[in-house]
Amino acid sequence: MGAIPDKDSKTVLKEIEEMLADGLKTQTEPFPETAVEFSKLLDELRALEPDDLEGRLVIGGFTDYPYGEDEMRCQECIYYLVHRKWCDLPELSVPVEPNWWCRLWKI
Amino acid sequence: MANLLWLQGGACSGNTMSFLNAEEPSAVDLVTDFGINILWHPSLGVELGDNMKALMESCVSGETDLDIFVFEGSVVNAPDGTGEWNRFAGKPMKEWVKALSEKAQFVVALGDCATYGGIPAMAPNPSESNGLQFLKRERGGFLGSDFVSKSGLPVINIPGCPAHPDWVTQILVAVASGRAGDLTLDEFQRPKTFFSSFTQTGCTRNMHFAYKVSATEFGQRKGCLFYDLGCRGPMTHSPCNRILWNRQSSKTRAGMPCLGCTEPEFPFFDLAPGTLFKTQTVMGVPKDLPTGVNKKGYIKLTGAAKSASPEWAEQDMFVV
Repeated sequence: MGAIPDKDSKTVLKEIEEMLADGLKTQTEPFPETAVEFSKLLDELRALEPDDLEGRLVIGGFTDYPYGEDEMRCQECIYYLVHRKWCDLPELSVPVEPNWWCRLWKI
Repeated sequence: MANLLWLQGGACSGNTMSFLNAEEPSAVDLVTDFGINILWHPSLGVELGDNMKALMESCVSGETDLDIFVFEGSVVNAPDGTGEWNRFAGKPMKEWVKALSEKAQFVVALGDCATYGGIPAMAPNPSESNGLQFLKRERGGFLGSDFVSKSGLPVINIPGCPAHPDWVTQILVAVASGRAGDLTLDEFQRPKTFFSSFTQTGCTRNMHFAYKVSATEFGQRKGCLFYDLGCRGPMTHSPCNRILWNRQSSKTRAGMPCLGCTEPEFPFFDLAPGTLFKTQTVMGVPKDLPTGVNKKGYIKLTGAAKSASPEWAEQDMFVV
């Protein structure tokens, strides 16, 4: 796993923005309540082809807006690198916007 | 001259290996400079067979003074409380432990197995292992909660998997040189001089902890290991980042999460799948927060810290 091969971060970010804006259905539920459930999602992500961007977004449950009553978002997630605008979870490794969210969110 | 006898129960010899690497003072210094007479030690003892048995019987009878009794490893009680799974010099080791503890001026439990039961005592505890005076957090253990050695002190617990060599030798020197009265023990009978601060105290990743930047893989040269990799540094009492290992580093400095091996519950969650090297969370929030921090405060702090995070916090740093 790792960053999408042969593509710069801005290009990938734009691709993700477009996919989400076009209504890509992602699996926002169920939220992994425990570390064991979280690990299962990581296993699913690891099984994807390295260039399967859509697969990462779908399994990750990405949204292009804050999620839930608490308005959870990437900005507060521990995997989010603020200055790089990057999700540093090795199984995702994608550029993200601070107001997005995914179900691997963790603080 | 203080006579010291060292035995091993349900043990891997890890604490012996650690002890033999001690530098300040070294194992040799204990003998040459601090007047400790090592009657017997599993790796250093000269006596074998009947001679070894006679030596121990001499300690039990009172013919030989036993000043310090060090026990490494768990007290094995299986099967069915007999202790037959761990026989030594003609009888269950637990019988020697009981008899020698009653005769010793000081009893020292060394390593997590001897102190709290450690790995052998994790569920379902097939070896019926016990610590000397605790079973995990529960006071009592093999010797019972009321036990005190001849000096009037309870068992002195030096936990760790293994214990740092200097913790061991410095405590032995304090005891042998008549300064045991200076030792104050915490609720789990650990010397406060070593076990009052946290593993996190002195960790070079504290700035990443503060700015909520996470390490996501072992050995990474940025990020705090608490958020994702299950590091227990913020809630584990040990001086691992004050008294460095090999005088130069520590687990967390090198990018390896603290496993909390100086705490009674170690190994946490009985090593159930998915619990090792992974921060346990409930709905995305760590189950075990740093000692003294509540959930609400933690969430607020995370938001503020991320907002204030400087660019350098996302870059690799120098680590030893």
